[in-house]
Amino acid sequence: MRSTLRTGQWFLFGVILAISGCDYVRLLRPSVLKQLNPDVVRMVNMLPAVDHPNEAIVGRLFAHGGLSHAKLGSDGVFRDKIWIPENEFIWKPAIIHIPRGGEIELEFHNTDGNLHAALVPSQQERQAMMLPMHTAGKVKIRLDAPGLYFFGCPIANHAGRGMLGLIMVGGEVPAEARLDRPRQERP
Amino acid sequence: MRMQSLPAVLLACSALFTACGRPTEYPITQQPQPFSSMNEDMPGVAPPVTETVTSERIARARSEPQNWLTYYGDYSGQRYSTLNQVNTTNVASLRPAWIFQTGVIGLVANPATYSFEAAPIVVDGVMFVSGWDGYVWALDAAKGKLLWTYRHAIPLDVPMCCGNVNRGVAVAQGKVFVVTQNGHIVALDAKTGKQIWQQVFADVRAAESATLAPLVVKNLVIVGSSGAEYGVRGHIDAFNLEDGRRVWRRYNVPKPGEPGFDSWPATGQAWARGGGTAWITGTYDPELDLLYWGTGNPSPDFDGSVRAGNNLYTSSVVALDPDDGSLRWHYQWTPHDVWDYDGVNENILLDKDGRKLLTHFDKNGYLFVLDRTNGALVSANKFGRVTWGEIDSRTGTVTVQKTPTPAGTHICPGPAGLKEWPHAAYSPRTGLLYTPVVELCGTFKLKPSKFEEGMPYWGGDVDLDKEHWGHVKAFDPSTGREVWSWRGQHPIVASILATAGDVIFTGEPNGNFNAFDARNGTLLWQFNTGSGIHSNPVTYSVQGKQYVAVPTGWGGWVEGYSPEMYGAPRGNSLVVFALP
Repeated sequence: MRSTLRTGQWFLFGVILAISGCDYVRLLRPSVLKQLNPDVVRMVNMLPAVDHPNEAIVGRLFAHGGLSHAKLGSDGVFRDKIWIPENEFIWKPAIIHIPRGGEIELEFHNTDGNLHAALVPSQQERQAMMLPMHTAGKVKIRLDAPGLYFFGCPIANHAGRGMLGLIMVGGEVPAEARLDRPRQERP
Repeated sequence: MRMQSLPAVLLACSALFTACGRPTEYPITQQPQPFSSMNEDMPGVAPPVTETVTSERIARARSEPQNWLTYYGDYSGQRYSTLNQVNTTNVASLRPAWIFQTGVIGLVANPATYSFEAAPIVVDGVMFVSGWDGYVWALDAAKGKLLWTYRHAIPLDVPMCCGNVNRGVAVAQGKVFVVTQNGHIVALDAKTGKQIWQQVFADVRAAESATLAPLVVKNLVIVGSSGAEYGVRGHIDAFNLEDGRRVWRRYNVPKPGEPGFDSWPATGQAWARGGGTAWITGTYDPELDLLYWGTGNPSPDFDGSVRAGNNLYTSSVVALDPDDGSLRWHYQWTPHDVWDYDGVNENILLDKDGRKLLTHFDKNGYLFVLDRTNGALVSANKFGRVTWGEIDSRTGTVTVQKTPTPAGTHICPGPAGLKEWPHAAYSPRTGLLYTPVVELCGTFKLKPSKFEEGMPYWGGDVDLDKEHWGHVKAFDPSTGREVWSWRGQHPIVASILATAGDVIFTGEPNGNFNAFDARNGTLLWQFNTGSGIHSNPVTYSVQGKQYVAVPTGWGGWVEGYSPEMYGAPRGNSLVVFALP
């Protein structure tokens, strides 16, 4: 009896140790928990039953691959890596966040056994890059203004089946472009 | 005991790898390239035709009728060409010469509303035209061959009143100027389409945007803001065209202490959310050195109770010194506008009966004629059904008769106006003004809105009538009287093009592109372009051959100006016609 308890304690300790470095434990943060309103809880409970290829729908839901904060390099360029997992039709991560406009270098790795491509927004012109199976490439782009920008796989209907991604550019417009008026309430 | 716990630790470590491990990385072998460069048919270079285009040359634009150098064809806003190769006797022989189209790849902002509204600019055989979603193209104006492409990255969530649209570019001194939906002014190298400079002049977080064609005056490129459906404070901005340096900004709603503030509530922040955007290109008189710019509706659109007063300088024309943006005079078309009538429609400059006149078909249903030297009213006459109020033609006194109510009030015209923004034209040959007309009334309902930055701020809504139709009408500016009228099944929401061949052109929501006899309104020719026309047809010539170009692509605020055509086919083609 006593040894069983000890084994259980060790197991628990091991699991906590294992997950403490990853995102599961962060789900318990108060700021996350307070967003779990009934609509979100219902959606999360529903996801395992629908969000795989050929479950309730043919494709996958938008932005399933999660969010990543691109890291700012010493050269002033934001960088992040995006994978195409095998047999999933998603970008992972699917949402890339940068806190303000600027240059972003995205490194794409196609671990899937199919041809994909990345069509990525940028000032001047979109950048296109073919990604045959088991290859990688870098795309350097510039996004100057706050907002949500779409990137996707233009091959077949991969985008419709889940390979839609977003680049979220935060921040405000330059001070000289703002309206001359008192600060206004925002929603 | 410890040996018994080892499998549990190993299991946990394995969970660590499965949950948090990073997938395989491969050597970097793939290289990106600009999407449009994956087109070996596009050279990426245009002839250097715009280097010698200056404000002085634009002031004499009609002396080079082979070109369409600026948004309205010249500074006067007459949208008149002296080309006469296509005339009333041969217009029925017009045939498509070429078609340019691009389609849509990937997601675009505001996808239900993108629309091709531009006025193509033509300089010595090269056409520069802008599209929705940040597109600018340079084309061979005789053959339609794509020379270069620019595409500004537009955020999906850009706040826009109505449509993902752009009304055209300006050119001067080797550059092409365009505004973007998210409020940037961009200067491109006219030879390559590469960006030279850009400036931000609108605040997307306050829901400002931009859709108009810039105007080059002297050494400045002048633009205006959009977004009065969101309680912004509208403004007109000028930049040095060479380096993009900011030169001036003029707000169309005064703040406390400024002239005109007494037309706003003295307390509170109605002025700060007062609207009055400037979303249509102005006109310019080089002799008087005056810039004439229309201003939009006050905010909120339909609820005047939070903004007692005349609400200067909204729903007005402001005459500005182009060097510093200072106000010389103004005329308010609709004081205390509670119908979303705006005042942005073009101000056509013409000289008649020995007077320097400014003529303006307002959304509120009146054709105004002013003395453009000082803003004095010459006449104001209705050009269709108007029930919101009466304007005395001699004194300009406004008597309001119908306003929005909580239960709803039926009022003519609807919020799209008796004439929407697509432009009228003037032919010096016939001495007549030609205007598109939207006959569409609605029931205006008042419902107070709470203001929050970036959110719609209308203060009500409008149920539009099922019954609607349109006209092309000709008016004599000397008398304000209608000379002829052609009735269309749907509202007419395309600009008029007048030519010295005594042919005028315009389009319909069903895709028909029509030519009329300018003298009597007889329909002379019609071509179905396949998608509704909400744009600015232009004419030009290359090596002696006259072309007529019309962007087609139904969209924008269709539910507002043509609700019975909401489901009509969309498109995105530029169709260019010539004689065989």
